[in-house]
Amino acid sequence: MTDVREIESSLLDFMRREVFAPDLELTAETDLIASGFDSMSLVRVLLFIETSHGFWIPQGEINAETLKNIRSLAATVVRLRA
Amino acid sequence: MYGDLQLNGPDYLMLGFDRELRRHGFAGNTCQIVLKLGVAVSPDALMHRLAQLTVSHPILNARPAGCIWPKWKLPSVPQAPQVRVHRGNSPSRELLNEPLDSRRGQLMRFDLSDDSEGRQTLTFTWLHALMDAPGAEHFLACVGNEDMVLPSPPAAAPRPQPPLRERAKLAWKYIHHLDELCKAAPKSIGVRHPSAPAELRHRVETFDAADTARIRANASQLAGLLGDAQFHAATALCELHRLRDRLGCASPSYVLPLAVGLRAKGSINPVFSNELTMLMMQLLPPQLDSTAVAIAALKQQLEDALRGGLIESGRQLGLLFRFLPIPLYMAMAKQGLRGEICSLFFGDTASVNPRLSNFLGAPVEDFTHIAAVTPSPGLGVIFYYFRGLLKMTVVHSTRVFTDAETTEFAASLRQRLLQP
Repeated sequence: MTDVREIESSLLDFMRREVFAPDLELTAETDLIASGFDSMSLVRVLLFIETSHGFWIPQGEINAETLKNIRSLAATVVRLRA
Repeated sequence: MYGDLQLNGPDYLMLGFDRELRRHGFAGNTCQIVLKLGVAVSPDALMHRLAQLTVSHPILNARPAGCIWPKWKLPSVPQAPQVRVHRGNSPSRELLNEPLDSRRGQLMRFDLSDDSEGRQTLTFTWLHALMDAPGAEHFLACVGNEDMVLPSPPAAAPRPQPPLRERAKLAWKYIHHLDELCKAAPKSIGVRHPSAPAELRHRVETFDAADTARIRANASQLAGLLGDAQFHAATALCELHRLRDRLGCASPSYVLPLAVGLRAKGSINPVFSNELTMLMMQLLPPQLDSTAVAIAALKQQLEDALRGGLIESGRQLGLLFRFLPIPLYMAMAKQGLRGEICSLFFGDTASVNPRLSNFLGAPVEDFTHIAAVTPSPGLGVIFYYFRGLLKMTVVHSTRVFTDAETTEFAASLRQRLLQP
């Protein structure tokens, strides 16, 4: 549980800093795609995950459910890392 | 009120292309957004709104100045942008494409033309150096919706910069990347019809709901979630190679400057600026035999570019080149790729700004993006979604491609999008 929260927190920090506008009230439950998350944002986040967790999320795992919000993305990272 | 404003690197690049196009006898690096309005709006109401915005935002009437240190020179007494009203016959394309006199501060123009059924067409023309397409969409939405607040131009130094030595190192990395691309140097198509009149023509393809859904499904299947732009780019490059091969001028490689938006997601600020950097992609003919292979190559290059920090490198290169005189800048940019810095102008602006569903109270029934292309490559394609339907504008220079060749390109591209 702590693990998924840590990952969620690091993803939230990264996206606040590198992807989204500072004035956007981004939370772990914010709808990413509706907030403007695009293909370039996706590659940036995948690179961040690769750098911080050592693996690249395969394209087959990138779907609407995974990218629903930061919480679901963090859960995917935990599942694939297991 | 704010003083003179600096141009950023991409603004300066767009200004360079403006001069390049004018040098070849074209109107310049201008873009257009065309709105089909369900009912006619009052020209007086539009002029009044523009007058209001010009007072609060004199950049609308600024002129580019300064060769070594480029900036927007703001007028002491700004004048509102020109509004031309065309009654009776539709205005000719030649009239709509008349050059903007940017040296006198004419950075944009509005053309209104009524049709016999009470509808109206608004053509908004602007100098690309002033703002990019997302900025222009937001600006136009602000003009047409008085409840929206038009943001001020960007501050001179919007973000902290690394030391000069570090910036030069980053910029050099980008130049090295261009050198790598030169190992399979592209061959420019050149100007095939030098005696043809210097004209830019375009055709617009609209996909209905069923075709849009099919193309989106194809994009998702081949390029994954959010892969629409990569699918569009790969498909367009495949068709470009096919066309050039048929014309007997296939290239050993094709370079695609992929515009990457630098605006933070969820924000439109700043409007009066080109917030982008170019990632140079390169595909070889064997990679263009199949859409799937082309997509895989583009995806790999995109990942490598981000992994190698080329977005920041490109940004720093733009910032440093900003201080060079424009002709030198253009020469350096061209030398980098042996004359061919772009094999196809490609734009993908995604969904149109939702506030452009109405304009000064009139419903917007249709929306079109039009861009300028330099004589080489002489061909461009822009993708966007309006009301959820995919649209594609194909622009060509009459000095490079004929109408028939462009029509064939657009038809094949349409077919390949539907059946990759």
